[in-house]
Amino acid sequence: MTGPAIVTEKLTRRFGNLSAVDAIDLTVAAGQFFGFLGPNGAGKSTTIKMLTGLLAPTSGRMELLGLDFSSHSIEVKRQVGVVPEGMGLFERLTGSEYLNFVGRMYGLDRTTTQQRATELLEFMQLTDRPKAMIADYSHGMQKKLALAAAVIHGPRILFLDEPFEGVDALAAGALKALLGRMTERGVTIFLTSHVLEIVERLCSHVGIIHKGRLVAQGSLEELRAGIASEEGRQTTLEEIFLSIVGQGGADRPQMEELSWLM
Amino acid sequence: MADVAGKVSFPEQIRLIAGLRWQILRNQLRKKGSRVDLVGMLFAAFFGGLVVFGLSFAFYWGAYTSVSTGEFKWLVLLFWGILAFWQLVHIFMAGFGATFEFRRLLRFPLRMSAFYFLGLAYGLADFAALASVCWLLAMTAGATVANPAIAPALLLIVVLFLLMNLTLERLFSSWYERLLARRRTREVIFGLIILTSVSAQFIRPLIERYQHGAPPWVLHMLPYLSFTPPALAGHGVAAAADGRWVGVVSGAVGLGLYTFVFSSFLWRRFAAQYRGEELSESDAPARPSLQQLSKAAAKSGALDLLPPQVAAIVRKDFRYLTRNGFVAVALIMPPLLVVLFSSQFAGRHPSVIQRGVTPDMFFPAMMGYLLLMLMMPAYNCFAYEGKGIQAYFTAPLRFRDIFLGKNLMHSGVMAFEATLSMSILAWRIGRPSFPILTATIVAAIFSVVGQFAIANWTSLSFPRKLEFGSLRGQRNSGGAVWVGFGVQIVLAGICSFVFVASRWLGSPWLAPGAFAGLAVASLAGYFASLDALTLLAEKKKETLIEALCR
Repeated sequence: MTGPAIVTEKLTRRFGNLSAVDAIDLTVAAGQFFGFLGPNGAGKSTTIKMLTGLLAPTSGRMELLGLDFSSHSIEVKRQVGVVPEGMGLFERLTGSEYLNFVGRMYGLDRTTTQQRATELLEFMQLTDRPKAMIADYSHGMQKKLALAAAVIHGPRILFLDEPFEGVDALAAGALKALLGRMTERGVTIFLTSHVLEIVERLCSHVGIIHKGRLVAQGSLEELRAGIASEEGRQTTLEEIFLSIVGQGGADRPQMEELSWLM
Repeated sequence: MADVAGKVSFPEQIRLIAGLRWQILRNQLRKKGSRVDLVGMLFAAFFGGLVVFGLSFAFYWGAYTSVSTGEFKWLVLLFWGILAFWQLVHIFMAGFGATFEFRRLLRFPLRMSAFYFLGLAYGLADFAALASVCWLLAMTAGATVANPAIAPALLLIVVLFLLMNLTLERLFSSWYERLLARRRTREVIFGLIILTSVSAQFIRPLIERYQHGAPPWVLHMLPYLSFTPPALAGHGVAAAADGRWVGVVSGAVGLGLYTFVFSSFLWRRFAAQYRGEELSESDAPARPSLQQLSKAAAKSGALDLLPPQVAAIVRKDFRYLTRNGFVAVALIMPPLLVVLFSSQFAGRHPSVIQRGVTPDMFFPAMMGYLLLMLMMPAYNCFAYEGKGIQAYFTAPLRFRDIFLGKNLMHSGVMAFEATLSMSILAWRIGRPSFPILTATIVAAIFSVVGQFAIANWTSLSFPRKLEFGSLRGQRNSGGAVWVGFGVQIVLAGICSFVFVASRWLGSPWLAPGAFAGLAVASLAGYFASLDALTLLAEKKKETLIEALCR
């Protein structure tokens, strides 16, 4: 692969006095399946929002596919697919209408859009109720549709904010396979999830953000190498995560404080 | 072993919930947009207050005159007025009511009595109830000044009448809520409300027709009206003035019975809600196969001449329009109003002939009024996007394309409505002269295009999410409303000036010429504004996303 797909330099976002994202320097190589982890409120979604154009950074620089985001936002967006935090669906369209709308918004011609929309709806098993509006979809169905919309234009980078939340096991398996195939073909996937097992299984590289700062970044092997483990047993991502973010449990809530509950 | 929380008393629960409402209000005011909204609401409250205060004098004087002259039928009429206002107006004012759903509190160990009390308290919080209470107080004061001896009986009657109205209004509201749980029902009822409002225009012709005597069936019904709450209240007060205490007691007992019956029904409704009544809509039924849809969607059309992004926005907005019953009802209004106004002011009508209203005057005035109605949604054009607004920021397009698509769609709808209305006008009152027709069309272009430039700005600056098929809490932000009204007043002033100048100077083609110049200027301004609005959208994206993704 050529140069990195995503590079951030001192990327910062402040809300008043709070630094939600604090000068992070991130590098994700092209074709990587990158897991972006952090506790609640660490700055994961804020980072994704900045990288996808939903939120303006307070300072710092972002470069996607070698293009500066601030000066080439349209060109960058053309090559990026997003499943944002709230999914960003137009709920009063049907699934088919929505995919057709998104395809056209990304500049695909009508025939290609229609063909891809049909194939994606079939793949996502969303063909049972073609006239149902998205508002009437279950949460899992909406997630699958959001994912279909994110890939309809064949993006080179895919940002997924909690993509498997609410998706049934059968569909999740198919989606994981699809995402795996996409990375094999050189697509970069930037994923956030609280389910560390999923990240461990899918991602080759991981970044961990904590209180707005990037506290670890590298391949799973590199991160494992930095953590001591019992002999003969591979350190899990959960242990790595807790070790880095929880600092050996120092930040973890103390159960003794909840004695009235036990 | 875990603790179990102790019981919370009824007053404590009420206090906690009142505190919660206060905190929610205080926190809302932290946001700049909400503060602008509050200013708008305060203006509305001020003018509403003036109306209520003014009418309070009328009620005071009416009650005073009625009691002092012994003409108690007027007192009955005043009670009827309050009943009608309280029970009907709150439906029309639904958009300005409290948006807090107190049923959300049911997850807490709330007592049924506290729930019932809260439900009643919410009934006192809307404009119709507050105004009615003011007028009842004014009536009490007027009647007491006229005859101080009736004060105790009057107070009893008024309190019972108030309680009866309060429970009846809450009962109606809870039934509406049940009916309105389904989107389609909501839209039908909203349509009926609009048609009822419009039908008020027919009151005058009806009065003119029946001014010399009511139909016999109405006369047969009259004796039964004495059992209605306003009649019971009025006759109770009359009995107090005559010293007939049996009459007072029977009036009070009658009102008490009404209150008791309504309260019993209301308790049942609230009990159903308290048990967790689920009113949400069921799933939409399955429909034809995907292949049929694919064929329909694959059809090409005139929209293909547009850039794909603009065409996609036009298509999407058209679909949203066809799925939004409220907007559809709003689109029926212009031609309907043309029919109604032309019925009242058409050339045949004596007042029109006497005052010399000709198609040349009526035509531009009516079109201006219709544009005023049809343009208001443009001032909050992202209202129904919801979370989809994010797609506009993640997709590779500039906001100028979005505005072009949205404005194009809106213009198309307006062109259709204007053509239809013009045809009806021509049929009902005759064709205007060619210069006036041309001037009206060009003035419409000037006004619409000019407004789009400003409406696009307010849509970015004062966004407000609106829900499909909802009545309550559905209003644009105060900022958008005030800017919209301001712009429309200015444009109406400019257009009127040009029309009057053209007529005064006796130069019929002056108006079309002037409007053509103004239309060119507004078109130039509109296209020049698109790039500035694209930049503004980038700056405002957080506000927009936050407001619409709630």
